[in-house]
Amino acid sequence: MTLLRPPVEAGGVTAHDPNAPMTRHSTWFLAAALAAPFAAAPARAADPFNEVAEKANQKMVKVFGAGGFSRLNSYGTGIIISPDGHVLTAASQLLDTSELVVHLYDGQRLKAQVLAVEPELDVAIIKIRVEGKKIEEPTGLNLDYFDFAAAAKRPPAETGDWVLALTNTFEIALRDEPLSLQRGVVMARTKLAGRRGVFEFPYTGDVYVVDAITNNPGAAGGALLTRKGELIGVVGREIKNSLSDTWMNYAIPVNAKVDIKEVVKTKDKDGKEKDEEKVTTVTMPDFVALGMQGKYKNVTRPKTVLGEGGYHGIVFVPNILDRTPAYVEDVVPGSPAAKAGLRPDDLVSFIDGEPVASINVFQTWLKKNTRPGQVVRIEVRRGEALQTIEMTLGVPPKAATPTPAPMPK
Amino acid sequence: MRATLSSRRLLLAVVAAALAAPAARAADVNEATERAMKAASAKVAPAVVKIETAGGAEVVGAGKKGPGGENGIRKGTGPTTGLVVDPDGFVVTSSFNFANKPTDIFVTVPGKPRFVAKVVATDQTRMLTLLKIDAKGLAVPEAFPKAGIDIGQWSLALGRTSDPDADHPPSMSVGIVSATNRIWGKAIQTDAKTSPVNYGGPLVALNGQVLGVIVPASNRAEGETAGVDVYDGGIGFAIPLEDVFAVVPRLKQGKDLKRGLLGINPQGTDAYNAPPVIGAVQPDSAAARAGIQVGDKILEVDGKKIPNFSTLQHVLGPKYEGDEIAIKIARGDKEQEFKGVKLVGTSTAYVSAFLGVLPMRDDAEPGVEVRYVYPKSPAEAAGIKVGDRITKLGPAAAPALSPVANRNALIAALQRMTPGTEVKIEVKRKDGGKTDTVTAKLVPAPDALPDAVPLPSSKGKAGGAAQPKPKDKEPKDPFGRADGPTDGDASAEDEPKKDEKKEEKKDDKDKPKVETGLLKRTNEALGREYWVYVPDNYDAGKSYGVIVWFHDTNEATKDGKQVSRTFRDVCEDRNFIMVGPKSGGKDGWVPSETEVVMQDVKTVLGQYTIDRTRVVAHGQGNGGQMAFYVGFNARDVFRGVGTVGAVLGTNPKDNVANQPLSFFVSGGDKDPLIKDIRESKDLLTERRFPVIYREMKESGKEYFDPPTFTDFIAWLDSLDRI
Repeated sequence: MTLLRPPVEAGGVTAHDPNAPMTRHSTWFLAAALAAPFAAAPARAADPFNEVAEKANQKMVKVFGAGGFSRLNSYGTGIIISPDGHVLTAASQLLDTSELVVHLYDGQRLKAQVLAVEPELDVAIIKIRVEGKKIEEPTGLNLDYFDFAAAAKRPPAETGDWVLALTNTFEIALRDEPLSLQRGVVMARTKLAGRRGVFEFPYTGDVYVVDAITNNPGAAGGALLTRKGELIGVVGREIKNSLSDTWMNYAIPVNAKVDIKEVVKTKDKDGKEKDEEKVTTVTMPDFVALGMQGKYKNVTRPKTVLGEGGYHGIVFVPNILDRTPAYVEDVVPGSPAAKAGLRPDDLVSFIDGEPVASINVFQTWLKKNTRPGQVVRIEVRRGEALQTIEMTLGVPPKAATPTPAPMPK
Repeated sequence: MRATLSSRRLLLAVVAAALAAPAARAADVNEATERAMKAASAKVAPAVVKIETAGGAEVVGAGKKGPGGENGIRKGTGPTTGLVVDPDGFVVTSSFNFANKPTDIFVTVPGKPRFVAKVVATDQTRMLTLLKIDAKGLAVPEAFPKAGIDIGQWSLALGRTSDPDADHPPSMSVGIVSATNRIWGKAIQTDAKTSPVNYGGPLVALNGQVLGVIVPASNRAEGETAGVDVYDGGIGFAIPLEDVFAVVPRLKQGKDLKRGLLGINPQGTDAYNAPPVIGAVQPDSAAARAGIQVGDKILEVDGKKIPNFSTLQHVLGPKYEGDEIAIKIARGDKEQEFKGVKLVGTSTAYVSAFLGVLPMRDDAEPGVEVRYVYPKSPAEAAGIKVGDRITKLGPAAAPALSPVANRNALIAALQRMTPGTEVKIEVKRKDGGKTDTVTAKLVPAPDALPDAVPLPSSKGKAGGAAQPKPKDKEPKDPFGRADGPTDGDASAEDEPKKDEKKEEKKDDKDKPKVETGLLKRTNEALGREYWVYVPDNYDAGKSYGVIVWFHDTNEATKDGKQVSRTFRDVCEDRNFIMVGPKSGGKDGWVPSETEVVMQDVKTVLGQYTIDRTRVVAHGQGNGGQMAFYVGFNARDVFRGVGTVGAVLGTNPKDNVANQPLSFFVSGGDKDPLIKDIRESKDLLTERRFPVIYREMKESGKEYFDPPTFTDFIAWLDSLDRI
């Protein structure tokens, strides 16, 4: 499918010629605007892309590892994050080898070894190895690098910010050739669209969606930079957005954060067992800081077991199609739905802001995200208007008495 | 300077502000532009709405769950974008967003609760849909003056899809205007990324005025999903907002808008260099009603010079049904002007003219030998017999008849004529070699099959003597046994191997040096597999039709061996090659796979002697739906679509003269989809496509039963009927 997309977008526009990407009249406006406060100062960029790229390129590596068969490429990109040769890259199949190799900016070819992998963030840290030295020993390389801790402290980029991506997309850059520079803007900072779990993708945090075609083979692990050359994200892999069926171009932000929820059994003060939600937070800055020291411990994600979910007491119309709309046929008397005032013929349209495309979506969402006692906000279509209803979910009726079918009236 | 004063002020203010704040810093043109872009987005943002849908098909088309699994083509079901065009709650968006016919539509306007939306009407030529929500006082964006749009100016594509919160800034992709007046004068082209993420959203200029509404579009196809396959490809389109504003009042009346048609066909095939002389006038069309005649040369439309048919297409492209135009023509040495010619919709779709013969294929001699004469056809009435050779043809009124070079020339000549035309035909009789001139009145192509199509169908003289010699030997059965179409068990035989075939050939010098049998191929660039079946008696001196098989989601139909075994006799006797592409996903075909499939098909078309008049898309269930889709979207290649148990996913496109398309639609009477299948047939018939429809008795989701298969073969072998 990759061919359906243009292989690489043309590289960045050098800012030496500020007129190049602009129309006649917008240039005129800008020139006029600039001329006013700065009497005849020529309009030029304070941070031309070529200078930014030149500096950033020295802090990047090309990574070579496992792959090369089927559609798995054996090449990728990495970001140098310490003078000693720590490299941040994507947690891909590339790293499943003992023969990991990186090429530095100047063409040096060095071995590397994986130090830490965090599938929750989809990143890994590898360290460059120098002949005759152990992995824990300093390499003495003194490389140019991105100060990751400083990068993570900067405010996040906004929609519309101009960004540059440096990647070894399609393995075009060989040995000492600079990586491919692409220019784009941040389209949005948002979650990857697999909100309903259609994606089989581990990372669930925010991403920067960019409007350049950055996510091509070999690009994963590349750097997303501001137009001033500040590191803001790690270019992700090639994945398809399950909601719009389109390829995504995204980077994982340097300050990425993922909350892992787990339900654990605890005992309250009376010694009664109860379920409690435990949240573990995984962050990119922690991963990088500890991972570089070899001290990072992975958080094991609990297997998502679909629970019963909270009980609602809505009787939907017969669910015959995959996309049967969630029309209410009836509500069980005395159930949470009845108490909340749901009525026959209501169409359940949104639950806690998530669109309910079908009965199936509603049921799955409820099982995944709710427990008895939880309050959910339901938007129902009643006639030609939407009504918002709050419903406190209950305990599912005992197995012996399954949801009673509504009595014929 | 065409931008308005206010927008100029805005930009100045933005830039000044950007520079004034860090007063000590050097002038940074990048920063100023970046800020101007964000300001432009912020100005339009209140009018950019999020659209969500519920119900409808998960896939475009039927989407009903039958025993065979999902039927239909998957489509993204995520939220989409719209643009407010009237403060009283009118929102315009791309029709693409409703291709799956959702039952419920919700619109979220920034800063307001969600609304239930209703579809008011659809503009079927620009693929825009007008929605109505119960709201007042909505922000409406300013339109950028259409005449002032410059190629190369910044353009920002905004959408509401990526971020679930409509109060955040809309998503933004930056590009420039690549061209104006694209897609027959209807669209602006941009290199900003456009995809289902922002279809329906605005394309915004740097001053915060809206250039247009983003839509998928293609200059080769029509329909709500046309052009989606090139999403994010650096070629995006937007309908100028000025044009959208102009059409909103018409859409508000609740009537769908169709493209306005004149109803003529060109005389030649050269749309670029030849003068626009009319070759055919559709009965009851706008042109016919106005009194325009065959042979008239078009000089001007609405005062614009028309040097060729391509220009005419551009001028008529943006017109709607009911629009009036003025045409100036030359008839003989006189000029004449028709004013107030009212264009019509699709009611007078093109209908192929039919003489009633099947031609002998691959014939090196001039003229066309008649292989079969349809009963009760004009040809039969005129006394044309099997074996006769058609040498000349022309309209009865013409002073002299034109020589007919070969089959393709005869097909092309008839494509330029309409049913009802009286033609004179010169035939050289088989018996006695006498030459007669007969007269026939052409009729619409009937929905009937020849009773028994005689063999051989080919003279075997395609391309002349340079071609490899045909074999004398009987073809050997590559499958061990031949089975009927209803045979269901796939015996576990060896996988087809390319290498073995090659080795085998070394010993046999008589065989043409082409690969035959069931061949496994890999699309090198994409790593996708497909199979090709070339009958063992392949002869490069004969031209072969191509059956492209689209498998169902059902595993059994993916097996190339079984499918080609079913078609073995057809391929050997009637000269067909089969191609079996494979869908990328487990859940069946998606429209965007068309391009990949066409790569496979075109590879095969380039390797063998191909009869372009008999290239068909054939499929079952979900594969059948894909066959419909591909047939309509690769009109330059396909001449027929044959389906089993499949439903038309989108509205059919119009029939066109030089890219005819025939259909063979079938389904089992026990298939839960049978109603929709019948409806699909009706839609095609409505558009005047020749359709053969077969409903199989006591059948659910099975493949053709033997009588239907026999009919299908007759249909396949009569696609080059004249």
